[in-house]
Amino acid sequence: MKKILPHHQELFLMKSAGLKLISFLMIILLGLSPSLSWGQGSGKTVKGTLIDASTKEPLVGGNVLIKGTTKGATADANGQYSINVSDDKAVLVFRFLGYDSQEVAVGSRATIDVSLKANASSLEQVVVVGYGTQKKTDVTGSVKSVSSEAFNKGIINSPEQLLQGKVAGVNVTSATGEPGGSQGITIRGPGSIRVGSGPLYVIDGLPLDGGIGNFLNPSDIEKMDVLKDASATAIYGTRGANGVILITTKKGKVGFSTMNFSTDYAISSLARPLPVLSAADFRTQVGKNGGILEDFGSNTDWQNQITRSAITQNHNLSLGGGAKNLTYYASFGAQMQQGILKNNQLDRLSGRMNVTQKFWEDRLIIDANISFSNLVNLRPPIESLLGTAISNNPTLPVYEANGTTPAKFLNASNPLITLNLNKDINTANRFIANISPSVKLAKGLIYKLNYGYDNQTAVRDIQSLANLVPQQNGRLDTYNNSNQNSLVENYLTFNLEEGDHVFSALLGHSFQKIQYQGRTWSINKFPIVPTEPIYNPGIGQELTLATNRPGGSATINELQSFFSRLNYQFQDKYLVTATVRADGSSKFGSNNKYGYFPSFSLGWRLSEEPFLKNTSISNLKLRGGWGQTGNQEIPSKITQPLFTASVSGTTSYPLDNGTSYVPGITYSRLANPDIQWEVSTQSNVGLDFAFLNGALSGSVDVFNKVSSNILLEIIPSDPVQPASSVWANVANMQINNSGVELDLDYKLTTAGGWKYNVGGNLTLIKNEVVNSPYTVIQSGGASGSGLTSATINGYVNGQPIGTFFLKDFTGVDAKGVSTYRDTDGDGIVSDKDRISAGSALPSTQYNFFGNVAYKGFDLSLQFNGVSGNMIYDNTANNAFYKLKISKNNNVIPAAYALANESTSNAAPVSTRYLKDGAFVRLNNTTLGYSFDTQKMGINKWISTARLSVTGQNLWIATAYDGYDPEVNKNASDAGISSYGIDYLSYPKAKTIIFGLNLTF
Amino acid sequence: MKKIKKVSLLVFGMLALYSCTNLNEIVLDEYNAAGLTDKQAAEGAIVPVYAFLPNLYRHTIHFALNEISTDEAILPYRGGTDWGDNGIYLSLHKHETMSTDPNVRDEWVHILTGISRSVTAINALQISKDPAAKLYLAEARGMRAFYNMLMLDAFGVAFSKEDLGDVSTILRGDKAVEYIKSELLAVEPVLETSVGPGRLTKAGAWGILARLYLNAAAYRDVYAAQYTFKPEDMDKVIEYSDKIINSGQYSLSPDYWAIFGNANHDNKELIFAIDQRAELNGHNRMSYFSLANDQRPLPAFPAANGTDGPAITSDFYQSWVSLYGSVDPADGDPRFYKQNIKPTDECIAEAQYNIDRGILRGQQYGLQFAGGAFLKCPDGKFKVGKIYNTRKAAPYPPVIHTEKIDFTPAGSDYSTGFRVEKYEFSKKSQSGRNFGEADISIVRLADIYLMRAEAKLRKSNDVAGALADVNKVRTSRTANMPAGSALSTINLDLLLRERGFELYWEMHRRTDLIRFNKYESGWTEMSSKDKNKRIFPIPQTAIDGASNLPGYLKQNAGY
Repeated sequence: MKKILPHHQELFLMKSAGLKLISFLMIILLGLSPSLSWGQGSGKTVKGTLIDASTKEPLVGGNVLIKGTTKGATADANGQYSINVSDDKAVLVFRFLGYDSQEVAVGSRATIDVSLKANASSLEQVVVVGYGTQKKTDVTGSVKSVSSEAFNKGIINSPEQLLQGKVAGVNVTSATGEPGGSQGITIRGPGSIRVGSGPLYVIDGLPLDGGIGNFLNPSDIEKMDVLKDASATAIYGTRGANGVILITTKKGKVGFSTMNFSTDYAISSLARPLPVLSAADFRTQVGKNGGILEDFGSNTDWQNQITRSAITQNHNLSLGGGAKNLTYYASFGAQMQQGILKNNQLDRLSGRMNVTQKFWEDRLIIDANISFSNLVNLRPPIESLLGTAISNNPTLPVYEANGTTPAKFLNASNPLITLNLNKDINTANRFIANISPSVKLAKGLIYKLNYGYDNQTAVRDIQSLANLVPQQNGRLDTYNNSNQNSLVENYLTFNLEEGDHVFSALLGHSFQKIQYQGRTWSINKFPIVPTEPIYNPGIGQELTLATNRPGGSATINELQSFFSRLNYQFQDKYLVTATVRADGSSKFGSNNKYGYFPSFSLGWRLSEEPFLKNTSISNLKLRGGWGQTGNQEIPSKITQPLFTASVSGTTSYPLDNGTSYVPGITYSRLANPDIQWEVSTQSNVGLDFAFLNGALSGSVDVFNKVSSNILLEIIPSDPVQPASSVWANVANMQINNSGVELDLDYKLTTAGGWKYNVGGNLTLIKNEVVNSPYTVIQSGGASGSGLTSATINGYVNGQPIGTFFLKDFTGVDAKGVSTYRDTDGDGIVSDKDRISAGSALPSTQYNFFGNVAYKGFDLSLQFNGVSGNMIYDNTANNAFYKLKISKNNNVIPAAYALANESTSNAAPVSTRYLKDGAFVRLNNTTLGYSFDTQKMGINKWISTARLSVTGQNLWIATAYDGYDPEVNKNASDAGISSYGIDYLSYPKAKTIIFGLNLTF
Repeated sequence: MKKIKKVSLLVFGMLALYSCTNLNEIVLDEYNAAGLTDKQAAEGAIVPVYAFLPNLYRHTIHFALNEISTDEAILPYRGGTDWGDNGIYLSLHKHETMSTDPNVRDEWVHILTGISRSVTAINALQISKDPAAKLYLAEARGMRAFYNMLMLDAFGVAFSKEDLGDVSTILRGDKAVEYIKSELLAVEPVLETSVGPGRLTKAGAWGILARLYLNAAAYRDVYAAQYTFKPEDMDKVIEYSDKIINSGQYSLSPDYWAIFGNANHDNKELIFAIDQRAELNGHNRMSYFSLANDQRPLPAFPAANGTDGPAITSDFYQSWVSLYGSVDPADGDPRFYKQNIKPTDECIAEAQYNIDRGILRGQQYGLQFAGGAFLKCPDGKFKVGKIYNTRKAAPYPPVIHTEKIDFTPAGSDYSTGFRVEKYEFSKKSQSGRNFGEADISIVRLADIYLMRAEAKLRKSNDVAGALADVNKVRTSRTANMPAGSALSTINLDLLLRERGFELYWEMHRRTDLIRFNKYESGWTEMSSKDKNKRIFPIPQTAIDGASNLPGYLKQNAGY
């Protein structure tokens, strides 16, 4: 705290300085279009086309206004407008956001075609940085903006999916194919080995606690800005180490009154079933592989029995508009998504209202946003369902002779019975509101208050019904969770422009409080009646504490921060940004309550230099930055001691023959007041460019990110401790990420009206653990019978996080038994012979796209891929080996591919099941047609109408033979992240979506 | 300007309102024990010292380390699908255990938890004003010594620590033995006589001391080619055994199986045991672990089944045959087998249903299971008969436990090996795993007699004295059929064999084999001659954790 002035003093200094200032510039360029209203009347009609002067593209939505009136019209999808003028003296004003406006006297003409020139200063994109916006050309950090037009298409549940493949350096992995399943996202590689090293999400200025989840309606998102390097993220201090994603929701525009309705209807099916044997093949292979066939006489495709053609409907209605002092956006969305596994459905209802109102001649501007969402997720027991479907003998019948009752088996389970008896329903409601008034205190000085509140509640019921055959007593587990996140921020921005100098400053304070509460209870033994336990748990008959002990946990975390940023520009060519944030967290120990996170960056706009001016190089900017950020994603309470008095099996013990037990006092934790955040130090050098008059643009970045002060649960040197491990910052240990990122975008419009846009991005990244004092940090516990206690991931010095640390399978010996490399040559193959066999983190990620449009048609193709990564196929390790087919379990043909393998050879965890994870996927492709509403004469009622068909995940090239190479089962061990393990992961769907979009 | 000033005031107000936080962490869901009476604090200090014992004495931890490493138990990769567990049970049996073995780590961590809790309790009880604190303090010190003896036995080290803030002193060899001994001697006068067997009593301490003296030669120099048993140590074994036997407080159980029954807490044979209560700390692992996968011992819970876990080796079985010759061991020794289900039984009422006990051989009988539920007889009783291995192809082969069990594919099949059901299967268990109620024996009277016999042999080759002790144990099981018979002679080899008959699967075998210099003698799938493997490796995680104190915690030789 001593480095920062008391805030009252500082504020005073700012204010008095502010009074002397002469000019001010708002960074936010909001709602530039003036207000206008639709004009109708007598006189004559003027028609014409409004196009871009250089690209000749129609300026859809451009304005035509009769000077001196509020009468106007809007250009349609082809840039055509039509307006009634009273007489020939009228002057038309043509306007389009980002273009210089033009005035044209009508005279005797009935057709006036106008081409507008892009306005050099406002052409540039505005990017959202922390606590404000900047022109993209002025940004000195590594920031990438993705706007809604560029988002991925298809059935989308979470914002990460919109971003997948869109930004170099951002790796989005959908861990499963389950609707709403969790998405893995890392920005510039993992900087921590613990779980929870995802980026910070900020929605309209409100930093969220944890991941983004599925609550946000994707069609409400206007844009996402990804802050990648430390010079950009340091303004978020202890939460910036893993990157920051800023989400901006849609706002209304002054002068427009629009209603948009879109509806999608989608059909999904299992993209790539596992190639387990058909009943006919099974009948021959069991015997060939040393087994005795159990033939039950049927031909069943069990994967087919548990999956279906799933229907998804998505409807969105949005209203937007605004007058001079008020703009609004309101939306309602409903998405009903069936999973491709039976009994799986995810429904989301959402609503949003964003309002901006101005007072006092625009001196006071109030933004207010409210959103609500309701998610209902019905899930079957996924792992057991898939496990039985891929292993069950395909000659087993699905149903009994009556054709409707699922058949019961002696030594196998029928997944249909599992589906009938078990379910898991989670209902989540989330409400987010924020209000942020800003006041112009003096010329150039703006004060802004930002108050945000996020409230989530969820109830999850896991129910198994009582049943006679198979006999089970029935059980209901209920989990209640709630989260509250409230934020108060006060900050001042100050801008000064004088001659060649442009100066802006930000100074602020933030306080955020996050509360979490979870409670759980259960009840056993239900009667076999039609009433489901979730509707009346009271019919349960057994409440023994040993199996039904209620549980709960609650935490409050507080974060207080002081932050500041200074920008200076000289001649619009030389750019300097410096930021600092002081973050205090209740999670940190009393000796380290506050951390200080500085950053510094420089930019040089070469294209503004005389030697490049007036060349075809329209933009060339060199950027360089350095900064430090932190990671405070550690459990709460670890700095505080805990000694509890509790009655439990591990703390209490009978002192006599009585049946009441003394609460035992045990230390669960010792105090560690020194605990602090992990530190990430990142340097970045980048080049932004636009050649060929802006047709080819892109950027290249080179970065080096070093994480130190690594937070781990460590084993103390003296092992006689109340807790076998304690949280500490490990001295000297580092996790390094370095890499290169390239983004390219090329646009071309031909004279014939064809428009092409191709581009893509490429990320090369290297991750390495150095100076770890640990021989190996293990994670990724193997799943499945017989594989207990084997680990799959192991992090060692000199190797990346996500490394697979395994015995090296070398084939089978003369007896047909597996052999492994004895790397230390001691004659025994043991854990000591494990090798670093590759990593789950791709060394290369790439994405490329192509869009083509002609007249009303548009076609886009979106590919993404990774290489240099491996996948551990735990599913095959557990289910597909020769011994399994000999025991009448179904397998894939690869299981018995080794002809000389013994049928009794076991399959322990080894490189045998490590597979290449490279893939390239046609992520989505869309063919659309926009109707010419004017020609159809319906433009008075419907201004745009578009039909589209989208294919999602239609094609993939990969050597991986599991359901999908994009997979990441959470097999974390003691809080250490696992990577790249596939175990009965929900299979991915391929989907065709038919969409209709109407704007009124 | 006025307006601006007003707004500025507002800003200050906002800042003042929300910035005054000292960021002290508020804990809502936990509380530090406070406001306790002296009695609550004293009792609260002593109970955690014992509370981890059920966890430590688990099938995969203390049991696995001390039995699967010997001829008494073997656990192959069952059918190539079960108990593969990254090969740790094969390694354990072959004496190839690694420092990364998770069960070795669990043993280490669990014993250390016991030591640490004892130190915490000692620190708290030293300043307690409660009248019982003196006794609890003695128990806590005694338990610290006991845990250290387990540590010394398994890992060759002991940790001396008086205050939680201290750094432990690591003791090895004789220093460790002397430390444990002096601690037990210091508390023995204070310990109670009548609070057992669940808590440490005078007799419990005597029993532990007897065991310590008996094994002292091995503990002092574990790698020695031949152990030298000091006569004064043997005298102490005899002295403490005499104290227990002469106290008159304990007696050998006429029913051998009652020692391991669900109601064994008051069995007079138990001197020191883990007091398991179904509703508190009980687990049933010792019972379900070895049983066949298709054996379901509870009519109320079809999900409660065996795991096809470990079996005895044929070498151990042959040690019975070597005594009883042509007589089936089940007909020669009451400790071998107890039949509860006759092959002729067809229907048994739920209350009467109990599975067989002891060493299970051949065809197994039990409840008939189909499609997820048990079959019943027309009278409502449960249908009983041969059980079948449903993990094989139909027609399902009957579950027949064979003598042959090894690591070959045939020897690793689901049903191979003679199984052990020594502890009674708890009727309170639902999952098969939870809710055990039988006390798990740590020191019992039969062991005391056998230790005394051994000391007599080792000290002066007192064959007559030793034989009397051995036969006392053998002939006391009068409630069982067949009745136990007396031996006509005894020597150290026969005594080791006798310890196997009496104490099999009670987690003494590894210590016994080492003491008798038989740990490298070889048996089914075990041919290692490496003396370094007598003690286990210190877990790699602990070595890594201590890497910032060079030389503090050294890995055991050979690992």
